[in-house]
Amino acid sequence: MLNLKSLAVAIPAAFLATAALADGETIAVFTKNQTNPYFQAVRVGADNAAKSLNAKVNHYIPTKPDSIPEQLSQIEDVIVKKPSAIVFIPVDYKAMVPGVEQINEAKIPVVNVTDRSAGGKFLAFVGADDYNLGLETGRYMLKKLGGKGNIVIIEGVKGSLTSIDRVRGFNDAIKEFKDVKLLASQPANYQRLQALQVMENLMQSHPQIDGVMAANDAMAIGAIEALDGANRKAQVIGINGTKEAVDAIKAGKLLASGDYNGFVQGCIGTMVAIRSLRGQPIVTEVVLKPTVVDNTNYQPYDAAVETRTCPTWDQAAAMATKTN
Amino acid sequence: MSTASDIAAPGARFHLSKDVVQIVYRLLAAGLLCLLLSVLTDSFLSMNNILNVLRQASLLFFLASGLTLVILTGGLDLSIGANIGLSACLAATAIKATGSPALGTLVGLGVGTLVGICNGLMVAKLRIPSFIATYGMLWVLHGVTYYYMAGETIHGFPPGFRQIGSGYFLGIPIPVYLMLGFLAAGTFFAQRTVWGQQIYAIGANPVAARLCGIPVDRRLILVYAFSGAMAGVASLVFLARLNSAEGDVGEAMTLPAIAAVLIGGASLFGGVGTVFGTFVGALILTLVLNGMNLLAVNASWQPLVTGVIVVLAVWLDMIGRRRT
Repeated sequence: MLNLKSLAVAIPAAFLATAALADGETIAVFTKNQTNPYFQAVRVGADNAAKSLNAKVNHYIPTKPDSIPEQLSQIEDVIVKKPSAIVFIPVDYKAMVPGVEQINEAKIPVVNVTDRSAGGKFLAFVGADDYNLGLETGRYMLKKLGGKGNIVIIEGVKGSLTSIDRVRGFNDAIKEFKDVKLLASQPANYQRLQALQVMENLMQSHPQIDGVMAANDAMAIGAIEALDGANRKAQVIGINGTKEAVDAIKAGKLLASGDYNGFVQGCIGTMVAIRSLRGQPIVTEVVLKPTVVDNTNYQPYDAAVETRTCPTWDQAAAMATKTN
Repeated sequence: MSTASDIAAPGARFHLSKDVVQIVYRLLAAGLLCLLLSVLTDSFLSMNNILNVLRQASLLFFLASGLTLVILTGGLDLSIGANIGLSACLAATAIKATGSPALGTLVGLGVGTLVGICNGLMVAKLRIPSFIATYGMLWVLHGVTYYYMAGETIHGFPPGFRQIGSGYFLGIPIPVYLMLGFLAAGTFFAQRTVWGQQIYAIGANPVAARLCGIPVDRRLILVYAFSGAMAGVASLVFLARLNSAEGDVGEAMTLPAIAAVLIGGASLFGGVGTVFGTFVGALILTLVLNGMNLLAVNASWQPLVTGVIVVLAVWLDMIGRRRT
């Protein structure tokens, strides 16, 4: 009797468990554009995680990079298609809040990645800390310069959260060293060519520049080209830890790059979404610790993102800053 | 201002002299800007900075010079920025795959020209308005480029190839020679050849041009092919200067190129404008950015200052012309 009773409980429970663990969920992954290698890394991370968990990923990317109206209409389209869950990077952390609210109304679980949305309900946030990334990478360079010298900052897109926070980090690092002088802080919109030209112009008015802090790798490498062209030397840092930056570090041209680790963000964001669908425990916030990639530790980054593997769930959970 | 009557006047001389007057005022606007900058900052008038400004203006000029011919016919080419992207990426691939800069150059010019010819065929043969035809082309090119690049960058080219963008001859950057070469050739073509004059005539009055026996279709295909070829030239100089190709390289350059043509005195209705005027237009746009970097204008104010100066420059010029 007792056995039968426990069996009666066990069978449906086993059924439930398999139902909850069924694979084949579809995850809609939203990224900002097709041009920045960072988001490619996020997408590869998401694909990688989904594949190992037997889920499917559909990518939604605005054809016009970082387009707010386009991402909004993509959200509307996706809600109609009802994916199992959404992994979401807002192109603008404020402007996309109404879009997130639509997802919430449609009761589709959603994980927020990279840029922390200003509103809406999410299962979890997975991202990096732009301010600390700027601060740590900036500090790293200033220490290498012996705590003195003339610095210029090359800013990203004015008003974007990543640029604001990274530049704030740079500035605070500079304030920590009283013999470091900030000569100029000029925008180049995360664009290589603009960074090259801004650097060329700054070199005209500043005969001595010791360090360049660029808010992303493409701009850092643009600045290096400008320095090379003028036969001048300065230490340059970038942010994102892209393959191109690693090559420049290996060649001794770039001092360091702050690792934003889009690949891992894509992995963990997707893992959280799938685990939540399967009723497994999740974490509610992962903010990756800033890592400065330099000529001593670049090896793990010196490979195409496609060849990397996601962290295990235990490793991911260990990085969590908030859990349920 | 009736553009048609300018052209209808017999002989090229009359409208040439009018063009000269117009150019003098454009040069005055540029001169005024230079004077202001040289008073505000010592570094502006150094030989280095002058070469620097010329080199920076060259990329914009390559694009804008081809576009000038299109605008002279009363058309518009919105695909030039996207054309740079595809030409640069394919040329980069060719160089990487074969190690031959010559082949890369051929691919860059070939792809650019081919895209231009497609635009020309759509406009001339299918009678699709140029704005729509080239806007459609813009999306097609972006699509192909983004798909092809998949968010990656191609970087690291042989030093021989890089000379086109970053080399010097007799202390003057190679792109500046290229710019002066195309300026002379473009001016000669537009003002002193039958084909050039036919292009003016088509823009002034397409119906009359057709009735006069001008092969309008063939000339239209020619100007769009030129515009595409110049995008190819720009893509090569771009690659050689930045040492890397990414999908969105030219994106930020389409509107400035159109602006350079219009600041240079061309009319969107066709029939009015010169390649030299466009050169001055490109110079004015470059000077504004150069000046703001030299003066370390706060990043937030830069878009506003750019806008005001561009509008002011054209307004002053219009006042000047009304007086004569």
